[in-house]
Amino acid sequence: MQKIKTIFLMVVAVVVAFSAQAQLPSVKLENRKGELVNTSSLVDGKTPIIISFWAVTCKPCIRELDAINDAMPDWLDEASFRVVAVSTDDSRFSAQARAWVEGHGWNDFTVLFDKNQEFMRAMNVSYTPQVFVVDKDGKIVYSHTGYTPGAEQELIDKIKSLK
Amino acid sequence: MKRLAILFTCLSLVGVVSARERGEDKTGRLTGSFETNSIYYVEDNKTAAIVPEDNFGSNNYLKLDYYRGKFSAGVQMEGYLPVLQGYPTNLSKVGLTNYYASWVDDSFSITAGTYYEQFGSGLLFRSYEDRTLGMNSALMGARFTYNYKDILGVKAIWGMPRLGMEFSDTQVRGGDISFAISNLAGWTKTLFAIEGSVLNRYEVISADLKEEGGKPTSTGFSGRVNFEHKGFIVKAEYIDAGERHYPNGGYDGVNDPRIDLIKNGNAQLIEVGYSGHGLGVNVTARRLEYMDMPIVYRNTSTANALNYIPALTAQYSYLLTNLNPYIVQPSTMLGSYCGPGEIGGQVDIYYNVARRTKLGGKRGMKLGLNYSTYYSLVKDRSAKANNLLWQSVNFTLEKQFTRKFKLNFLYSFQEYNDSHGVNNYTWKSNIFVADMLYKWTPTISTRLELQYLYSKHDKKDWMAALAEVNFAPNWSIFASDMYNHGQTKIHYYNAGVSYTKSRTRIQLSYGRNRAGVVCSGGVCRNIPAYTGANLMITTSF
Repeated sequence: MQKIKTIFLMVVAVVVAFSAQAQLPSVKLENRKGELVNTSSLVDGKTPIIISFWAVTCKPCIRELDAINDAMPDWLDEASFRVVAVSTDDSRFSAQARAWVEGHGWNDFTVLFDKNQEFMRAMNVSYTPQVFVVDKDGKIVYSHTGYTPGAEQELIDKIKSLK
Repeated sequence: MKRLAILFTCLSLVGVVSARERGEDKTGRLTGSFETNSIYYVEDNKTAAIVPEDNFGSNNYLKLDYYRGKFSAGVQMEGYLPVLQGYPTNLSKVGLTNYYASWVDDSFSITAGTYYEQFGSGLLFRSYEDRTLGMNSALMGARFTYNYKDILGVKAIWGMPRLGMEFSDTQVRGGDISFAISNLAGWTKTLFAIEGSVLNRYEVISADLKEEGGKPTSTGFSGRVNFEHKGFIVKAEYIDAGERHYPNGGYDGVNDPRIDLIKNGNAQLIEVGYSGHGLGVNVTARRLEYMDMPIVYRNTSTANALNYIPALTAQYSYLLTNLNPYIVQPSTMLGSYCGPGEIGGQVDIYYNVARRTKLGGKRGMKLGLNYSTYYSLVKDRSAKANNLLWQSVNFTLEKQFTRKFKLNFLYSFQEYNDSHGVNNYTWKSNIFVADMLYKWTPTISTRLELQYLYSKHDKKDWMAALAEVNFAPNWSIFASDMYNHGQTKIHYYNAGVSYTKSRTRIQLSYGRNRAGVVCSGGVCRNIPAYTGANLMITTSF
């Protein structure tokens, strides 16, 4: 009986999910300086955002962000956008993550620290890496979990299609 | 419980009414995620692999959240059909494990039902979920938060922590306050904040423990200072965790008649860092004394923790670097041995060698160095180091040689004390990893990992290799083998395929896994040896 209940709930969820387009939730996270930033304030009504959930212990996440960082100068010639890298590291690694960002030259990214995974849960991310493209009005228009080298091309293709 | 139900209903009503009044967001929206992790276990004489009844284990999670303006509500269902081997055994059957309703306004929030929370670094209190560990210590109760501009933040919590499929009878009450002095003073270039927490824990105790002087209620405090100026960061935290109880391993009824030991927990943590000009440096030092904070006394589940005490070392992601990870010692209770805790620290240095420099070449280079060391404490209320528990040095180099070829190199020296400080005998190992990525086309790539572990101790030398072929953005195929040629001559092989489409990922693999520890976020659990097929599906919507 319980199993049937689970399946039923899932079906309902999927149906409703397709009828509504998700919006960026509002959660307060620390930035690199230690100040609190509300995630809903990331939406500025002008440019779309790539939001990438990562962790220092997640190798594919690092590969994805490095690939975005390397491609960024070329991509910015084609469209304007911002990159928000959300570190999901626990307090154990958040200090390391801060040093990591500098050592990897991710200076063009906005880095936020989600130390108790509140934003991660609100966005329903189970595992990193997961990346989202959010349009200028805060609507989630694309998402992808996992990373395979080359998959980053889909991000810029999506951003260009928003124009 | 009744009060909670009333609060829950009130919040739901407020949510519905206010959304209707504003006339916006009429239907609200539902989002969620689903995850299944199932293993079919097979017999394997070589490793004495564990095979449960029905040869099957499956952990399943369904999470649903409903948002409507400032109101949100959600549930989580978990199904263990039965639970995977090595996970806490109190996870069983199917249940509605977490549910909440919450109202988040600009300056305040109210939550009723289950919620996660953390004070400071989590050493005093953290309730969280980590599915890799089978950990979910959500509190069932209520939380109120308030903030005045970006100057003052206050949190008040009350609840009963979750352990296994149920909420325990332990009651937790607490408060946390943070005061950003720099924002009050209007400093723009400097951040200076002081923070403090209090946590009160109540659990019914045995008559014996009461007779020995133990109290059912204990109160812990944490005081913190945060400072940031032009890339320099300093964080300090002092924790007095209050009265702690431990089963007395030395009890014999005659010479040592104490059934329980009564101790006082405390910890100190300092973090100093700098980041700027391509350089990131971070130094952490920490001392722990009797810092275990169980949800339920004398329960041995790995998920039985009200606080978060990670091992502060480098966390590795390569096969051979994780054979003997450091296991943090908030206290060491082994038989009649009673160790009060540990003292130590780590240094991390990351450097980005710029493009178009002599060393960096055309594409630059990334360098990393980590050193960590930990010792057991000589005695209670002491900071004097006793036996070495752990020491490691790690050097990493990352370089994109051409457009198509990238190399990650790691050298790691690890020294590990298998007795957790009872004696001073250690195992040393030297590990080398070359991780190479080659892109054939913009979407097809191959990744090859070659690893070698050299050691005169434990099972001596190991070697390992992993090959992965990726067809972006959907397919990935991998095969790996880890071989102990120093002693056991056992191959630990693994092969699999994964398919990803949008927010759904499916992975099927088959392999042999060694007995050992699995760590996530610096917290570890033991796993038995097993061989079998693993299906993992995650999706969100």
